Amino acid sequence: MLLYNIRIAAKSLRRNPYMTALLLAAIALGICVSTTFTTLRHAFAKDPLPGKSSKVFYVRMDNWDPAQPYPGDDPKSLPPQISYADMRELMKSTIPTRQTALFISRLFITPDPKVAKPYQENVRLAFSDFFTMFDVPFQYGSGWDRKADAKPEAVVVIDDATNKKLFAGANSVGKTLRIDDRVFKVVGVLAPWRPTVRYYDLNGGAVNAPEAIYLPLNFTPLMQIRSGGNSDGWRNYTINSFEEFLKAADIDWIQFWVELPTPEKQQAYRDFIDNYVRDQKKHGRFERPLNNRVTNLMETIGDFKVVLPQLSAMAAVSVLFLAVCSLNLVGLLLGKFLARAPEVSVRRALGASRGQVFLQHIVECEVVGIIGGALGMLLSFGVLKFLTKVLPGSIPIQIDGTMILSAVFLSLVAGFVAGVYPAWRICTMPPAIQLKLQ
Amino acid sequence: MPIGPIFRAMTHNRTRVLLIILEIAFTLAIVTNCVNMIVDERSKMMKQSGFDDDNLLFLRSAPFAPEFREQQYILNHVDSDLRVLRAIPGVKSAVNTNFIPWQGGGSSTTVKIAGSKDVPVRSQVYYNKGDLFGTLGTKLIEGRDFVPNDFDYDQVNGNPKVVIVSKKLAELLFKTPHVIGRQIDDGQAVYTIVGVLDPFYNPYGWPIHEYVFFGPSTVGSFARGTRFLIRVEPGAMKSTIAAIESAMTKSNSGRVLTMTPIDEIKSNFFSGGRLVMKAMTAVIALLVFVTALGIIGITSLSVSERTKQIGTRRALGATRRNILTHFILENWMVTTAGLVLGIAATYGLNFLLVTHVSGVKMDWRYVAVGMVLLWVNGLIATIPPAMRGASVSPAVATRSV
Repeated sequence: MLLYNIRIAAKSLRRNPYMTALLLAAIALGICVSTTFTTLRHAFAKDPLPGKSSKVFYVRMDNWDPAQPYPGDDPKSLPPQISYADMRELMKSTIPTRQTALFISRLFITPDPKVAKPYQENVRLAFSDFFTMFDVPFQYGSGWDRKADAKPEAVVVIDDATNKKLFAGANSVGKTLRIDDRVFKVVGVLAPWRPTVRYYDLNGGAVNAPEAIYLPLNFTPLMQIRSGGNSDGWRNYTINSFEEFLKAADIDWIQFWVELPTPEKQQAYRDFIDNYVRDQKKHGRFERPLNNRVTNLMETIGDFKVVLPQLSAMAAVSVLFLAVCSLNLVGLLLGKFLARAPEVSVRRALGASRGQVFLQHIVECEVVGIIGGALGMLLSFGVLKFLTKVLPGSIPIQIDGTMILSAVFLSLVAGFVAGVYPAWRICTMPPAIQLKLQ
Repeated sequence: MPIGPIFRAMTHNRTRVLLIILEIAFTLAIVTNCVNMIVDERSKMMKQSGFDDDNLLFLRSAPFAPEFREQQYILNHVDSDLRVLRAIPGVKSAVNTNFIPWQGGGSSTTVKIAGSKDVPVRSQVYYNKGDLFGTLGTKLIEGRDFVPNDFDYDQVNGNPKVVIVSKKLAELLFKTPHVIGRQIDDGQAVYTIVGVLDPFYNPYGWPIHEYVFFGPSTVGSFARGTRFLIRVEPGAMKSTIAAIESAMTKSNSGRVLTMTPIDEIKSNFFSGGRLVMKAMTAVIALLVFVTALGIIGITSLSVSERTKQIGTRRALGATRRNILTHFILENWMVTTAGLVLGIAATYGLNFLLVTHVSGVKMDWRYVAVGMVLLWVNGLIATIPPAMRGASVSPAVATRSV
């Protein structure tokens, strides 16, 4: 029955190609615009670590100036990072199953002079848990282990581009690399990796690409590595050496993540943080009201306003655009179906039920919806590909399964919504009058 | 004008009328809100920094040669670099500073009037050595620029004694731009104001875009390198970049040089906004087109449905002109109803966007312009089908009744 109706629909659509083109264009345009903008928004708003994002938590503590809150719209806003000294204390906790402190720096890479000249590169300082916590993909080797953290061992993880540049893309595990004044052994090479949002560090450049080089964070004091990212402070220190800088407990430049798989652990960790701050208050620090935030990945992405409000506005507008296209479709379908009244009347007179007539017409609308929707998707692929090129920093925008499914769903809904009234009109038309007119 | 009969005729075609009304209302709401967003983005982009952005060049020198590990060596090298830079033909002036316009950030601290109990206010803060005013192209409206004496202090561990503030910061702190000789305190030290500059605008993550003070200091370290802003002769950017590269390398090759025109940094800063503007413009154009098609489609339908009535009216003496007027008037009434509903939809959508997403309040002028645009659009879209209606021959009425 359905197949028969689809055949009739195809026949009817072929009969009036001009009208069909208009119908398809209306749906295709609507789907193209709405898919493009919702995908664009979704690329930034989606869960970058599916299945795990609710267990990975970002830690913030309000160690700001007692005289005034950290600048921001919210009176409860607090520094986005923590200090090196606090991080050292937090690392002692055994509650998290995994934990890592992070910061970004720029260091000099001195490759084999035959291969390349010395150059500066973005380096991520991390603990071993970073790679497992954030599902960082490897093509050769792996991250280092906790033993390497503790010592620290001179090990390094490099990304695919660096591996291609310095080692011609071969398995370079075991090779060495000179960074600043030390020699590091390569233990892992990342697979090509470019998430839309650099979800493990949302401070300044949340849509930047991941770094090229990864080093054990415990080299920070040994190599006097300074943060290349934002650092916030309010207290005035007289700093004469790097050691004194690391001890400055109210200069915030470290990102801190913990993995807490169960609600019990989450509660225990929140208590641990609150107790730590209460204890520090006794030493004259953390003079502001107790204001700590331990937020899971998606909450953190929300707090850092990664999704530009303009993108959300455009997504909303694009859905309205689809609504206008559907309204248009109602008019066009109404005209098309009513022009067919004599033919339908004959069918009805010969015994077709209202239900059958309705089904025939709604199937025709859905056929239009699906073909138009597919065209719209193709168009949208093209537009997004173009947008990826013109976006700054070549931010990748992937169309994922959810987006394809929602586009298919939207086209079906648009086809149905636009078709239901015209189909109902034609099936409730009394056949006798039309027959008399012929 | 036969408003009554037209209105009664419309009540027989409620669906069609409702469709057009809704379509017009939605269209007005979307178009005006898009225009509102475009204008908002545009106004951000039109904001002037007060600098000669087109001819400014940012130079970063990242040293790797071991002698640069000595801080004093870096500081001394800055002076020779400035001399080298100034001697290059095409270079108007140069300054060693950690201030880079249009990055969307920089460095900041809090300051208050020295000796006061005021809550410190946040301000941008940068240091410089060399010709800051000549390079940026901004003006010293009061006081003086830094003189060599101002640099006579321990630049590695000490604090300068004088600063130059922006007019906006002076007004924020002292409620007056005449602040020469007054003192400010950033918690580290007390500084005497020797100069006031204006204009200054550098978009920052916090609303402190126009507040800044500059201190006299050579800026550079082994870890972060040294940075320069260079103003070149108009149109000489490309050739000057090549000349700088070779002259600076000749003076010391133990470093990596990167140069970025401020134009490029500015264009990067606004690329998101430009994209929003282009996308919104495309949506408006497509939408107006789609709505026009919709009106043509529905009016054509209503014309072909009423072929017999038109024939009858023509047979009873109505002129082509009467028929044309009928359709145009009918559509005008429907469009107007749609626009009235559209005003409500516009403000409704604007309210939702402002409260849930972000954005600025609707300017009524855009609504007015949008209404005129859609009126004209509706009129143009009605004419082809209405003409077809008017050309129906009276003989049609007598056929096959």
